[in-house]
Amino acid sequence: MLEIERLTRRFGEKTAVDGVSLSIPAGQMVGVIGRSGAGKSTLLRMLNRLTEPSAGRVLFDGTDITALRGQALRDWRMRCAMIFQQFNLVQRLDVLTNVLVGRLNRRPVLTSLLRMFTAQERAMALAALDRFDLAETALQRADTLSGGQQQRVAIARALLQEPRIILADEPIASLDPRNARTVMDALRGVNRDGITVLVNLHDLATARDYCDRIVALNAGRVVFDGPPPALTAQRIREIYGVTEEEFAEEAAAAVGAPPPRHPAIAAA
Amino acid sequence: MSDRRTAGAMSADVETWRARMPAAFGATRGRRALRVAGWAVFAAWLVASLWWFDMTPQRIWAGLSGLGTILVLMVPPSPGEQWVEILQGMAESVAMAFLGTFLAAIVAVPLGFLGARNIVTATLWRFSLRRLLDGFRGVDQLIWALAYVRAVGLGPLAGVLAIFTADIAVLAKLYAEAIENAEKKQAEGVVAAGGGRLASVRFGILPQVAPVMLAQALYFFESNTRSATILGVVGAGGIGLQIAERIRVRHWDEVAFIILLMIATVAVIDFISGRIRRRLIGAQAAPH
Repeated sequence: MLEIERLTRRFGEKTAVDGVSLSIPAGQMVGVIGRSGAGKSTLLRMLNRLTEPSAGRVLFDGTDITALRGQALRDWRMRCAMIFQQFNLVQRLDVLTNVLVGRLNRRPVLTSLLRMFTAQERAMALAALDRFDLAETALQRADTLSGGQQQRVAIARALLQEPRIILADEPIASLDPRNARTVMDALRGVNRDGITVLVNLHDLATARDYCDRIVALNAGRVVFDGPPPALTAQRIREIYGVTEEEFAEEAAAAVGAPPPRHPAIAAA
Repeated sequence: MSDRRTAGAMSADVETWRARMPAAFGATRGRRALRVAGWAVFAAWLVASLWWFDMTPQRIWAGLSGLGTILVLMVPPSPGEQWVEILQGMAESVAMAFLGTFLAAIVAVPLGFLGARNIVTATLWRFSLRRLLDGFRGVDQLIWALAYVRAVGLGPLAGVLAIFTADIAVLAKLYAEAIENAEKKQAEGVVAAGGGRLASVRFGILPQVAPVMLAQALYFFESNTRSATILGVVGAGGIGLQIAERIRVRHWDEVAFIILLMIATVAVIDFISGRIRRRLIGAQAAPH
């Protein structure tokens, strides 16, 4: 159970996230939507403390995440894996080593810096890659893979952390529709194994297709929180003052993504 | 936080995977033996060199105590009586470095273009030019200085020529590499607009590489100010002559003063050129 209590982040004059409170039960797949600058990324980054909150608390199974320091903080980050829009793989390392990065926090510093991983960990990494049909690429350099493949490698890395939560910040914004689907399928798959997934999305149709629950942000505040069917075109217009198509185009343009799928096609 | 393993995802059988992808489990026995052998040869070479030059801890220790004596003699640093000569020498060194680097940078620009694969497509010509430059680069600045001292006589002219000759080759190579890394698309835009070959180089390539070229020339100026002091020792002008004379008569306090003056000068040049480099590379304003 992840509990977010009146979480706030200010950047100078601007309030990026403004008193957000959410309660997310274990195993849920939550889509966070909102226009560019609504505070989606800031919210996610505060959950693993890549960004420090200005006020408010985050509790996970009763532990106050916002108070963690040092090793305890690194342990929390291991438990709360992150997927980035630009994958954030180390391009010049092979795929296998990139995935094994997910084990670093569990290894003694010296052996891990020498790239000494156990056979068991290597087998785990290969199994995680195999799950996304990428085992054969294990010894290639990461930059030889396509964007969609790289994002799935990033998910494999996240799985090696054996996380309780996966935070995905616009994971498909840099991908074409077919690759976007394989990545979202992969995220939904690991969610079915019991990992809570919080995913920032610019595409409403994708959020509706894949998520159990949608949270909409506007100017840092939660303006909708409910199951996908409740987020009707009517609600979108009430919340954002634009039609769903306009919302999708604007959001896609803001993240530099390919044009959005037509909702009618997405629903099929 | 509980350490509960996440369901199902992590069941992985080592033996199955080792059979399927042996390379993922580290090097094979043969390769590992080869690697150990390589390191052994390296270590043997290292030890042999140490033994050859008689680098025993005793000798190094004795040398260090000798160095300590010199350091004591250096305190307090003093400009001595001939401080005007020292300042003159320093100014001469800086001027030598500046002139030598400036001339080398100017000549290196066309050579760099001629040596770049994307500009000169005639392989034979480019290859010969590059090998020629490699040859020049193989001869150290100090050797050039000694040769020029014989050729044009003692004094800063020999130093300027030495810096000039030695740096042309290095700068031309660096420039050629910068030009090869320039983006082709921008030059293509100029060609598509009806520009000729020279125009595409002038407007498509040069604006991309000019800041890099200037930044590198500034680095060389700074490093040449340091090496210009050495050139003086062999008679090619500058502060080096002053240092060499004072070492010969063991006026270590004056040597210390000159060293401090050199450090200060290099720091000032470093500061100024750093600011210029940052403006060149950081600025979005178009270079012409």
